[in-house]
Amino acid sequence: MKGTNLGEFEELVLLTVAALGTEAYAVSVKAHIAEQSNRHVNISAIHSSLYRLEDKGFLTSKFGGSTSKRGGKQKRYFQVTSAGFSMLQQSKDLKQQLWNTIPQLSFHSA
Amino acid sequence: MGTYLLRKIFAANIHDEIAGDLQEIFLERVAAKNKTYASFKYMIDVLLSTRNYYLRRRKNIYTRSQTAMIKNYFKITLRTISKNKVYSALNIMGLALGISAFIFILQYVSYENSYDKFHSNHEDLYRIRYKVYQGEELRIDCAAAVPRVGPFMKEKMPEVIEYARAYPLGGVMSKDNIKFREDRIHLADPSLLKIFDFPLLYGDAGSALIEPNQVVISEEMAKKYFGMSDAVGEQLTFNSWLDLNLVVTGVAKDVPNNSHFKFDFLISYQTLNNQTTDEDGIVASETAWGWYDFNSYVLLEKGTDAIAFDKKFDEILFEERREAFEKGGRRAEFPLQAITDIHLYSNLLQESEPEEQGDGEAVFFLSIVAFLILVIAWVNYINLSTARSVERAKEVGVRKTMGAYRKQLIHQFLTEAIVLNFISLIIGLTIVVLGIRFFNQLTDSALSLSFLASAQFWLVAIAVFILGSTLSGIYPAFVLSSFKPSSILKGKFSGNGAGTLLRKVLVIFQFAASVSLITGTIIVSQQLVHMKNIKLGFNLSNTLVIKGPSVFGADSLFTSTFDAFRGKLLKNTEVESVTGSSNVPGAEIFWTNGIKRHEETDDKRRTIYIAAVDYEYFPTYDIELIAGRNYDKSFSTDTGALILNKAAVEFLNYASPEEAINKKVTFRGQPKTIVGVVDDYKQMSVKSDVAPIAFPLVLENRRYFTLKLKTNNYQETFEFSQATYDQFFPGNPFDYFVLDDYFNRQYKNEEKFSSVFILFAAFAIIVACLGLFGLSSFSALQRTKEIGIRKTLGANMSSIVFILTKEFVILIGIANIIAWPVIYLVMNGWLDNFATRISIGLPVFLLAGGLVIIIALLTVGYKTVVTAKSNPIEALRYE
Repeated sequence: MKGTNLGEFEELVLLTVAALGTEAYAVSVKAHIAEQSNRHVNISAIHSSLYRLEDKGFLTSKFGGSTSKRGGKQKRYFQVTSAGFSMLQQSKDLKQQLWNTIPQLSFHSA
Repeated sequence: MGTYLLRKIFAANIHDEIAGDLQEIFLERVAAKNKTYASFKYMIDVLLSTRNYYLRRRKNIYTRSQTAMIKNYFKITLRTISKNKVYSALNIMGLALGISAFIFILQYVSYENSYDKFHSNHEDLYRIRYKVYQGEELRIDCAAAVPRVGPFMKEKMPEVIEYARAYPLGGVMSKDNIKFREDRIHLADPSLLKIFDFPLLYGDAGSALIEPNQVVISEEMAKKYFGMSDAVGEQLTFNSWLDLNLVVTGVAKDVPNNSHFKFDFLISYQTLNNQTTDEDGIVASETAWGWYDFNSYVLLEKGTDAIAFDKKFDEILFEERREAFEKGGRRAEFPLQAITDIHLYSNLLQESEPEEQGDGEAVFFLSIVAFLILVIAWVNYINLSTARSVERAKEVGVRKTMGAYRKQLIHQFLTEAIVLNFISLIIGLTIVVLGIRFFNQLTDSALSLSFLASAQFWLVAIAVFILGSTLSGIYPAFVLSSFKPSSILKGKFSGNGAGTLLRKVLVIFQFAASVSLITGTIIVSQQLVHMKNIKLGFNLSNTLVIKGPSVFGADSLFTSTFDAFRGKLLKNTEVESVTGSSNVPGAEIFWTNGIKRHEETDDKRRTIYIAAVDYEYFPTYDIELIAGRNYDKSFSTDTGALILNKAAVEFLNYASPEEAINKKVTFRGQPKTIVGVVDDYKQMSVKSDVAPIAFPLVLENRRYFTLKLKTNNYQETFEFSQATYDQFFPGNPFDYFVLDDYFNRQYKNEEKFSSVFILFAAFAIIVACLGLFGLSSFSALQRTKEIGIRKTLGANMSSIVFILTKEFVILIGIANIIAWPVIYLVMNGWLDNFATRISIGLPVFLLAGGLVIIIALLTVGYKTVVTAKSNPIEALRYE
């Protein structure tokens, strides 16, 4: 296995799922990413990440309601697991740590 | 389709939810934009989803091995290709050449077939032909009809929606100091712009050609004369036998190249009507039934049956014209001709663009050639693969003992075929892209690369690719995979009889095709040479022709001015003689009138072609008088004299040219005496038989001035004659041509055809030889040991070469025997199109057959000689 590291896009998806709470499924994740980061990603990319994150144990999923809009097909709702949250936390801490090591003056020099 | 793919892509356990997601997005997009957009995006989503193929797929061993196998097939394919570089290269080269030849010809053929299809009504547009029978004999078969027939057809036949006439004209157009001689001028009905798709860029098509002296010009002409596209409202002056001041009322888009009817200027038909109205108010250009210079077109109701229409119209016409027909002892017909047939299948008098007329038969031949080349290339592949079966057999044996299924082996060989075909397709396309300019130059055609953007082309390309991969892959796949591992690995296997037989049959086919193409090429070029060497009956060397002046003050002064012009020219030592005439050899005659023997009744009057000449015409062109004499200035009575050609003498039923001399005829309603008969020289065309022509003496001929020079030093004379021309005929553009160039343009089509033919015959032979090279080197390789033994036993090199080449020579011999009768029949049919043709003799076949054998021997020879020369120790030491 590649290990449990997060890719940049995976992290984005994971965060988005976390942000959407109980309403996270592929289409809403895509819409949210588009809205927040102005990144228009193809639905297939979202699918790859969601299922891969679930395989890594960062997400869990359950089936939810189906609407006629979906041709009667069920949605798969995703939720972040505790392993997922701690991974996000770790990744944030790591970045914070790196931020802190940047010399202050570099902010002012252009 | 997308949904189906989706089912294939995703594992069943997650398919539903993902399909749901996509559908949701799809509906949102429908709401936001439109359905096409949404469907398109949906398709993209589906295609991008292929990346998720592995997602949550049950770890199924069979499916896993399937994908692994596909990878493996490719790997092995690449290894096979790189292991046998020579064979792979031969295969790929052959296929690539075949494919590129096929694409070239396909483009050429589809261009030739595209003529006049750009008119949105093209399926219901027809040209009215004009046929005249005298008794049972067809006297006139003409592309241009009479002015009355179009309107008459519309009045009497409810199927006719609209008619349009165009009367072709040439003359000098001028705008202030800009003067050019223009040939693509027509006096046209306003409806012409309606039934054809000749869109106007400026001006209103509905009103552009209604009033007299209105003109619609092409965009190119607008730029030429006015330096801008929007020339509506500008003035032009036109001089020919009509002198007109014209107002531009429309600018049309330039006529596409693939139109049989081309114009630069369309002058309103009413202009002509004004000119042809007599004192009684009768308008000849509306009522004439015998003046056949009018290209007439009709638009019929959708789906009208033209044959039934012709029949019906014939009866109505006969009703109307019965009296005139009976009086003249002749009968006219106006059959319809689909405009899409004009370019390829029409060869009538007075075609709109006679030099451009295509040849449907030639185009059909080429399609066959294209296909032949492709098949030859595929055959190569099959041959080389089966020939290598012995080598591959070991591989198959090992694979089978390791547990490979037969199906997997078939897949393996099919993959190889697909990969090779794909590489060849790419290389073939590259050859086309790089070679298209060269091809255009060689064949004098105007193909562009725009076809690369057309879906139709890719459809054909993909079809060829799939067909090729299957056809060339399937036989080796099934044969090679059928080998029994036990016998192969024991070493008993040594090629199979059926495979060898098939290979022989295929080689025979390849070479039969090559021999046919070579023979065809030789015959086409022989016919071309023959046509150029036909006794023309006149001398066209060192002849410069100047087009006569359209602008000239008073007709009465013309003769004396011309005499002065001639006198000045003759002072130049380069100029041998000067003559003025209404026609020159190689130009079609449009001038006809009635002639009959004096004693005959009026109903015996026949239509004869007219070429007006002066005293110098026959001597200048070295035309021989076979009876009687030329016009002579010393005979004051020569205004009542007439010279005919031999065909005209027969036409008037005189027993011999000598007998015709001093006989009286009625010509153009005037009594004339025949004073001379010239031989049947090729006045109009080398392709058709010589028509009956009368040569009246007319001193004010001003259409063509012919200068016979002492040497072919055109340059010097050219400047001198231009200066002289400008001095005597100011205000006229100096237009000239060298007669042999002008005359030889008649061969353009045949030259084009023969160069295309030669090119692709060469393609076919190269491809076939590539295959033969592969086969022969392979069989030499296989027989290395045999040859080694033969050499140790004392065989010399020549006997070994003989053994190795014997088989191929026999095969090629059989191929020749098969090809000869086929090609004889086909080429005989083609040659029948010509008035004078060569006969096909045995030498042509022997030459082609010999040529192929020599080429084949050279191909086979290299490998053979190398093998025969090799030291037997090397061959036998092995193992």
